[in-house]
Amino acid sequence: MPSLFRRKRLMTVLIGFIILVALIGFSMRDRSELSVPEKFLQDSVGWVQTVFLAPVQLFDDSYQNIQKMLNVYDQNEVLKTRLDEYKGLIQENQQLQKDNEELRAALDKTESLRDYTPIQSTVIARSSDRWFEQMTINKGEEHGVEKDMAVITSEGMVGKIISAGSFHSTVQLLSGFDESNKISSWVVREDEENAFGLIEGYDSESGRLLLEGISLDEELEEGDTVISSGLGGVFPSDLRIGTVDEVENDQSGLTKTAYVEPFADLFDISHVIVVDRDVQSANDEEEEEEEEEGEGQ
Amino acid sequence: MIRFTISCLLIILLVFQGMAMSLLPAKIAYSELLMTPHWVLCFVLIIAIFFDKDDTYHCVWYGMIFGLLIDVVYTGVLGVYMVTYTIVAYVIHGVHKWVHETFFVSLLLAMAGVGLADAVLYIIYSFVQITEMPWWNYIVLRLVPTILANVVFFVFLYPLMKNRVERWSDMWKST
Repeated sequence: MPSLFRRKRLMTVLIGFIILVALIGFSMRDRSELSVPEKFLQDSVGWVQTVFLAPVQLFDDSYQNIQKMLNVYDQNEVLKTRLDEYKGLIQENQQLQKDNEELRAALDKTESLRDYTPIQSTVIARSSDRWFEQMTINKGEEHGVEKDMAVITSEGMVGKIISAGSFHSTVQLLSGFDESNKISSWVVREDEENAFGLIEGYDSESGRLLLEGISLDEELEEGDTVISSGLGGVFPSDLRIGTVDEVENDQSGLTKTAYVEPFADLFDISHVIVVDRDVQSANDEEEEEEEEEGEGQ
Repeated sequence: MIRFTISCLLIILLVFQGMAMSLLPAKIAYSELLMTPHWVLCFVLIIAIFFDKDDTYHCVWYGMIFGLLIDVVYTGVLGVYMVTYTIVAYVIHGVHKWVHETFFVSLLLAMAGVGLADAVLYIIYSFVQITEMPWWNYIVLRLVPTILANVVFFVFLYPLMKNRVERWSDMWKST
């Protein structure tokens, strides 16, 4: 019966199309949490990845160690000269910290936007599709990781958590940022007040971040440091983002746009720190209040 | 048992696909060219060509299941790889009935399969605005390098797996 067979094939195609649209629609909307099967799959593949990563990492590490050993002598000379400078700095820093604490105590304001709890973790894989600038790390909700937390390396900020599984989570890299995930940031300048701006995207051609919305009368110089301001609600303040590379006027002519060279190398990442801000954001508090109210009723 | 072995191999390829991106030197993996490993698909195609008989459709099921796994683990947008790999496995399964399986024919089938898969991915992803690459850029920067990189992988995989998969196929038929 050829006609029946053809009808069956047509049905399969149609059902397949409906499933595709439904699944894409389901996963593209702004979800606060992964569904249970997704978490399960992500975690199970994560374990397998961890198992295979161990021997490969060992080989990779020993290769890098040998490379590092070859220029240890030169580095040592340079570092020795730097060490003396730092001794002075440390003392100054301690003094300032003490002052800061005392002043905060006097003001009755102990929590600062700067404080965070670090969660150390290892990168176990990167997305094989380059259109998705994502990577998987080996810490999840069980370790305190939540959606939207900032992710940094020792060099600077690299991205944020877009979804957290139970034991593994996915990081969206800065190079995949668009207008839906802005970072409110400050440009730190010498002898002047900080200038405010929003990181709103990534220019993939030059590999630089776009810092937009800087007011026209702010003078930025090449080499100024960009840090997070902590005003966006999720990230703590003072995370290092990058340096200003080039400034130009916006298309509308009302604001300036700066191109920011990120501090961190976004391609060669093996260990990251997930940043859990100590001060709760306004949203969280509201949610908790709502929950409490709900329980009360 | 055979199913289990094939699934294990596919899982390993899936894992290495992601690890390759973090361990290969940045100069190769992150140059201008957006090379995308489709290693799982390469193996699914080998199953389509050497394991499946005319009336069995294992490759389609493997394509569907492991496509979905790639969606969950590496992209977060469900359904795209799943549908793409299913279609490609079905098409290649259909085509291979009409040709004789020599090395060059299977190489050509693999190139066609990887090319088709990547093109379908591009079409779906541009509909949902995950990529906004113009198509001529896409062809030069992603389609051609991806096909070439995967053909290299296929050339490695072919001598390792061809005889083994054919033997499994005979065992499958006799049971």
